[in-house]
Amino acid sequence: MAVTIRRLEEFDEVENFDCGDEPLNNYLRSHAWTNQEKVSIGVTYVAVDESALRTVLGYFTLATSSVPRDRFLKKYVRGLPPYDLPLILLARLAVDKRFSGRGLGHALLSEALKITLRVADEVGCRCIITDAYPDKAGWYARYGFLPLEGAVATIPQRMFLDVRTIRRASSIDSFPAERE
Amino acid sequence: MPSTVKEKSKNVAALPAKAPTPRKSKFQADLAPSEDSMVRILKTELQMTSNTDFLSDALALLRWAVSERKRGHRIVSESSTGERKILLFPRLERVAPEVTLPHVDIRWTDNELESLADLASGQPAEPTDALIRAMRQ
Repeated sequence: MAVTIRRLEEFDEVENFDCGDEPLNNYLRSHAWTNQEKVSIGVTYVAVDESALRTVLGYFTLATSSVPRDRFLKKYVRGLPPYDLPLILLARLAVDKRFSGRGLGHALLSEALKITLRVADEVGCRCIITDAYPDKAGWYARYGFLPLEGAVATIPQRMFLDVRTIRRASSIDSFPAERE
Repeated sequence: MPSTVKEKSKNVAALPAKAPTPRKSKFQADLAPSEDSMVRILKTELQMTSNTDFLSDALALLRWAVSERKRGHRIVSESSTGERKILLFPRLERVAPEVTLPHVDIRWTDNELESLADLASGQPAEPTDALIRAMRQ
């Protein structure tokens, strides 16, 4: 399977996408294109196989956001730049269950993090945030996402990954085991 | 002699600095007949008489378009029926950032904000092996 990840296009086949989670299926089928092209509140990237370039196997959606500086407690403001805190929201990430276990989630997250780094280089952002389902929080934690405190157990866990950590990872060209 | 020189410098410093008068520059363009005709038509439509006003307005419009595109914003016209057309102008695309993402508002609890500020203001964590692998892919 040779997978390509690109922006969602109007005639991509999304009707049969099934990741096992109806809100995530419904978002791709009914809202992703509109949100990307008409109301501009999120850009969706899709994974497609080279043998079926229109069939979506997985997707993620990104948007930017920021936290106004005056919403932070004063004791933290000193450690932050004197501006609103710009960030990227990884709003959704899903893989069709018929293609799970083939590393598609890893490939999608990899692309999302590379885009994050490009955005950080071009317009600046401090971190990437995602709201992970509780049973997926461990998967994000493997990539270094840290849970933000204050979440309620029944709703997704908000998680944080510092852009400086991503940048550091991108500058490492060998694993610790390979360096020894 | 040195004291005289000092005195002179003091006097010069005391005088209010005279701002240099900005020089007006002339702008000459070789227009094809069709472009010349277009300029005349536009001037008539916009009730302009001078080329200077025409160029000034055109410059203001272009400057705005460049600044919007630089911020990653698209320039769109919308008809009364809601039909939208996006301006794609090759020269403007040169200034557009490579990746643009829309901006959304996120709801935060106070605890989440405190945790976010704590993490963002601290030292970044070391990358995990999975993250390094993801960035190498």
